[in-house]
Amino acid sequence: MNYKLMLRMMGRTLLVEALLLLLPLLVAFIYREDPRPFLYTLLPLALVGFACSRVKTKAEFFSREGFVVVALIWVILSLFGALPFWFCGYFESFTDCFFEVVSGFTTSGATILSDIERLPRGILFWRSFTSWVGGMGVLLFTLAFLPKVGGRAQVLVRAETPGPVATKLVPKTVQSAKILYEIYFALTVLEIMAFSAAGMPLYDAVVTTFASVCTGGFCITSASFAAYNTTCQVIAIVFMILGSVNFAVFFLLLTGRGKQALKSDELHFFLGAVGVCSLLVFVNILPLYDSVGVAFKDAVFQVASIISTSGFCTTDYNLWPPFAQTVLVILMFVGGCSGSTSCSIKCGRILLAFRTSTRTLLRFSHPRAVKVVKLDGKAVEEETLNTVFAFFILFFLLLGAGSLVVSLDGYSLTTSFTASLGCLSNVGPGLDGVGPVGNFSGLSHLSKWFLSALMLVGRLELFPILLLLHPTTWSRA
Amino acid sequence: MKILIVGAGKVGATLASFLSQEDHDITVIDNNDAAIHRASDTLDVMCIKGPGAAPSILREAGAEEADLLLATTNMDEVNMLCALTAKRLGTKHTIARIRDVAYTEDLASLRKDLNIDTVINPEYSTALEISRLLRFPAAANVETFFRGKVEIIGIKIHEEDPIVGHPLSDLFGKTKGILFTAAERAGEVIIPHGSFVPQEGDKLFITGTPQDLSAYLRSLGRDLPKVNTVFIVGGSRIAHYLTKILLPMGVRVTLVESSEKHCRLLSESLPGALILHGDGTDHELLASEHFTNNDAFIALTGRDEDNLISAMYAQQQGLRKVVAKCSHENYASVVRAAGLDSIVTPKLVTVERILRLVRGLQDKSGSVMTALYRIADTDVEAAEFILRDITPHLGEPLMNLPLRKGFLIAALLHEEKVIIPSGQTILSAGDRVIVISHGQSLLAFKDIFEDTKS
Repeated sequence: MNYKLMLRMMGRTLLVEALLLLLPLLVAFIYREDPRPFLYTLLPLALVGFACSRVKTKAEFFSREGFVVVALIWVILSLFGALPFWFCGYFESFTDCFFEVVSGFTTSGATILSDIERLPRGILFWRSFTSWVGGMGVLLFTLAFLPKVGGRAQVLVRAETPGPVATKLVPKTVQSAKILYEIYFALTVLEIMAFSAAGMPLYDAVVTTFASVCTGGFCITSASFAAYNTTCQVIAIVFMILGSVNFAVFFLLLTGRGKQALKSDELHFFLGAVGVCSLLVFVNILPLYDSVGVAFKDAVFQVASIISTSGFCTTDYNLWPPFAQTVLVILMFVGGCSGSTSCSIKCGRILLAFRTSTRTLLRFSHPRAVKVVKLDGKAVEEETLNTVFAFFILFFLLLGAGSLVVSLDGYSLTTSFTASLGCLSNVGPGLDGVGPVGNFSGLSHLSKWFLSALMLVGRLELFPILLLLHPTTWSRA
Repeated sequence: MKILIVGAGKVGATLASFLSQEDHDITVIDNNDAAIHRASDTLDVMCIKGPGAAPSILREAGAEEADLLLATTNMDEVNMLCALTAKRLGTKHTIARIRDVAYTEDLASLRKDLNIDTVINPEYSTALEISRLLRFPAAANVETFFRGKVEIIGIKIHEEDPIVGHPLSDLFGKTKGILFTAAERAGEVIIPHGSFVPQEGDKLFITGTPQDLSAYLRSLGRDLPKVNTVFIVGGSRIAHYLTKILLPMGVRVTLVESSEKHCRLLSESLPGALILHGDGTDHELLASEHFTNNDAFIALTGRDEDNLISAMYAQQQGLRKVVAKCSHENYASVVRAAGLDSIVTPKLVTVERILRLVRGLQDKSGSVMTALYRIADTDVEAAEFILRDITPHLGEPLMNLPLRKGFLIAALLHEEKVIIPSGQTILSAGDRVIVISHGQSLLAFKDIFEDTKS
């Protein structure tokens, strides 16, 4: 294990976080709010970051260091990121602050705040901005915009990018990272412009965009998206879906390789799932509505919001019939495409698992059959398939563990289960007590810490954080 | 013609032997001592040892004034480079063997970029031939002409067939649209006349449109239903191409291959086929996969012995259509005697194609040869020509033409209509004709007439 290199990498990322904190500080100045929470945070952050980044080392990253450093960076980043919340005084405990900032960085959107409008604008800006940074990956950001740290940037990117197989857009990792961020910037600017044009105030447009293009789910009103008009809701639907599409698709489209881009199985599956589930939910909730249009819009919005792992809502779906709720809970497991800003299991893994399972069925009737499992017309290695199954097993084990912990607080099965699922899948809200109108504030400290951990585990696709707990990771040999 | 052959392997040596008998000057280039020795001992050709793609070697072999270069080494890339270099040096026409599946998709642009005149892919041609056999399960061989409008099929005569014991002239009028083109009896091939009496064990070659042939086979009670499921043993290139041809036709394909790595590759490129890992000669495996329920069995492993034995086993188990690949011609005749009649030999498929090309290049006298088949690997050939206005004897009825002995006009395509010729039929420019020749190679169409032969 190369601790020096890990320290150096962490130092650089903390410096990036310090730079990012300047933005909410600026917002606080603009709205003449108390800048102290940010200044108090900036001081230790810059000091520690600077000290760590001065560590000199010549060594290279290897796979193990890559995963471990990514996991540690996310934890430390969250610890520092929670400080502005702590200093602003609107949060009851550091646990709450940590939960809220982890929920931001991991683009979950689960909140412990019940009276959001009370908070200063700078703090709310930081809360949504963490989502925006976390959506594409903070390390990716560091790699894209800071000078090179070492040759093996791909090790870090692999640990942070969602999906069963990491795809490169261009041969150079740093160049790929830049392209991803450029696309991300472009989507962000487009959404801000669309929201403004639809009549949202600029501050709301910026902050809501930060929370939606990354499929996060933080809203600056307690009413979530119900506070904005229908046009805004439709815009949000479009951008949540765009945020859940593999960014490689945009890259291919922009470079004139549309045919190749639209061939993606995963994309077809994702769009198909959105279409079919929207229709199912729409038919099911229609009796509750007077207007067919509103029912349809609510159905599509909710489906897009859940499958993209955003967690916005336009209506209280706790009041929907059980069938529609079940569809939404199933969608929480699905998530978007690999290489997007969404989380959860992901369409790619579901496709691979499904295809591997049908192959197992084929083997019962033809024991000698050989069949490669394909994704986008390309054979997938058996090793990758094993990893996919390991992912499923671990996902469900963690889900169970989370449900057990929350149920200790005395919540119903639905609340415990969906709270755990909401956090692990980074959707955010669940059903019942943690549904659209509820929040996570009533949970015990233990539950909040555990759920924070689940959010981090879920955002980093299970393995990096779990690797921290594995004994061989820390063994010398 | 001056012909260079690079690579004296199976195909190269066979070509050298055929072409040198047709009075061409052949130079063989090979990097392997043993191959060079074998060629110089058995063939009347010039031999040069060295890498065939090297300009110095090609120059030494006379590539500057050669009419034709045939690149048939076992490496596709070497063949491409040979053709390219020879063309640069001044060889008039180049033919390269390219058979890797990875190249086949972009073959057209590859040909253009490398300036290769003709690309031959023996495995693909063989696969195509097998797919034709599967469309006519009753026939042992199927050759197509006029872009598929006419076929020559070979059928084995059984004891219960109604034509046994009756001279062909009796059938006159009952067999509309078909022509008995050739007959093979006890290894001898003849062009039958009206007095020919079919016997059990004869193999008859019949020319006609696919529809007429089907109708005739039905009248013989020999019309087998279409092949819907195929069991292939051996995941060779031929198997790959064949599966690629069969799957879009709606045929279900099961393929057995013994190398697991190869199985994965096959599964990747042939997602519609069922790929099994195992030994195709293992009866236990065959039985557990219910292979007897398939309509056809095709043996395509790299070993002739395995292919022939498993094909005979499949035939014994009652499969309707059995095809085996056999690279050695001498085995083929033995196995035919044992009752297995659909044998394909990739080498001969290639040789036929190249001979046809060579003859087409030679013939500047008014008619272009567009197809050539050697019927049942014998000295009977079926050649397809396009007639041009300088072709002799156009506009005269066939019965007045001075046709040489051993030649027969089996069919013609006149304004997209297939005609089985009679005495009154008239040839005109633009027609396509099939000429059957016996005992002599046909180089130009005019050679079939007494008065214009060269």
